Amino acid sequence: MKKFIISFIIFSALFSCKSQLPQLVKIEGKQTTVNETIASNKTIENTIKPYREKVEKEMSTVISYTPINLYRNDGNLESSLGNLMADLSYERANLVFNSRTGKNIDFAMFNYGGIRAGISKGNITNESAFNLMPFENSLVVVELTSEKIMELVNYLISENVAHPLSKQFNLTVTEKGSDLKINNAALDTSKTYFVLTSDYLQTGGDNMNFFKDPVNIYLLDYKVRNAIIDYFKATDTIKVSLDGRFRNEKTLKN
Amino acid sequence: MKRRNFIQKSTAATAFLTLGGLSLQSFASKNTKHITILHTNDVHSHIDPFPITDSRYPNMGGVARRATLVEAIRKENPNTLLLDAGDIFQGTPYFNFYGGELEFKLMSMLKYDAATIGNHDFDNGIDGLFAQLPHAQFDFLSANYDFKNTVLNSHVKPYKIFVKDGIKIGVFGLGIELEGLVDPKMYKETIYLNPLEIAQDMSRILKEEEKCDLVICLSHLGYRYKDEKISDLELASKTKNIDLIIGGHTHTFLPKPTVTKNIIDENVLVNQVGCFGLNLGRIDFYFDNDKNLASKGKSIIV
Repeated sequence: MKKFIISFIIFSALFSCKSQLPQLVKIEGKQTTVNETIASNKTIENTIKPYREKVEKEMSTVISYTPINLYRNDGNLESSLGNLMADLSYERANLVFNSRTGKNIDFAMFNYGGIRAGISKGNITNESAFNLMPFENSLVVVELTSEKIMELVNYLISENVAHPLSKQFNLTVTEKGSDLKINNAALDTSKTYFVLTSDYLQTGGDNMNFFKDPVNIYLLDYKVRNAIIDYFKATDTIKVSLDGRFRNEKTLKN
Repeated sequence: MKRRNFIQKSTAATAFLTLGGLSLQSFASKNTKHITILHTNDVHSHIDPFPITDSRYPNMGGVARRATLVEAIRKENPNTLLLDAGDIFQGTPYFNFYGGELEFKLMSMLKYDAATIGNHDFDNGIDGLFAQLPHAQFDFLSANYDFKNTVLNSHVKPYKIFVKDGIKIGVFGLGIELEGLVDPKMYKETIYLNPLEIAQDMSRILKEEEKCDLVICLSHLGYRYKDEKISDLELASKTKNIDLIIGGHTHTFLPKPTVTKNIIDENVLVNQVGCFGLNLGRIDFYFDNDKNLASKGKSIIV
């Protein structure tokens, strides 16, 4: 262990008081790494054990099934896992949003980087949901002007990655520009749109600045992970497909 | 009593290769008192060691190992305080499943003396934190969160004075600005007060009014920022009478505790031990009544 000593001298003039008080004469600082060389305390270990067993049991509980591998990078500008995440979040969140406001969410958008793990073919467990979404992000709905929607579109085109989008959102990049449909309709500049995202992205995460100053914001108090778990629990077998909701026809021709 | 002033005689570092034994012996007179401060920060519900397969911290950390370490140090020196600088909660399923119950229970078994409150300790809301308090047999200290309009009212103290072997140790807590970091629905009517002003106040009260021999700031402000945001280093430079700042929030791994200067050019120690219970910080303070010995100077060995 490396140690460095710095010496200090006291002016004796300042130290002439006849105090009996204890004087601080030396300070030593160091840190110890907690690793396998240190034995585990048995009492602590025994206290943790029942908690660990219950967590492990819960984590390995099967909550759904997928017949195919779900990845974030199995498409070009969309992915099986991205589509699933956006669609299930839309479905779960819209139940809450609609019951509170009487309105419907227009579409959902998240970030590619926010998908933290894939899900392998077979049983889906609680652990799959924790791995997919280890963060405590919550779902929020932002009301955006059509200008902000265009910023969102431009962001998607310039980023050129498979950011998760729900099926209500359809964007085709063509030779001439781009074609946008939201719920099968062209962008209406006279109306505002309700977009579902996470609090992390709403506050500027991944530079999605178009979410920053919305007309209105609705906090759903619903964690993204809980929406995922709730959807899995309610769905026996996951069905998901790549439907070209965001595609680049220029790349396809090449 | 006059404040002692120290000047740095030499910055030339001398390597001390011996462990504590030699220096302990040389201070083993009856006039000598020895206080050990142990600390953690940002443990984030990391109860078990990381898996052996972990890419960053294979087989590192673990509360049961920390317990062994703490027990051994307490045996060596019963005059030990164990402190945590916040963000006890959030990071493993233990928190999602039990809401912090196990974290507090284990900290109580390790005989933590005090902790301050980190932003993630509000992750289940202020009510979620309050609900777990019965499991915590240690004090929560925060001088700059005003909880009077919340359920935590009277459950959190601004500071606590510990007396170990006749040495008075004043510990006060500081928390980070919650706005923008935590959903207001979570912290409710918690009022954030300026940590610098509070620290100036607290250190005066503890040193001058309460006549503490040691003043420790338990902070969740963060080690250092590029902008003007208040940090531990910033706080150290703008206050006096604080001997040690134990920090958190920024998950800063320091090769050794930082020795920096306060507003009147005295030394302050600032330390932080990364996160996830990977390290245990330790600062030993040695006191002496023998003025001849004391007049030789104060050494800081880090």
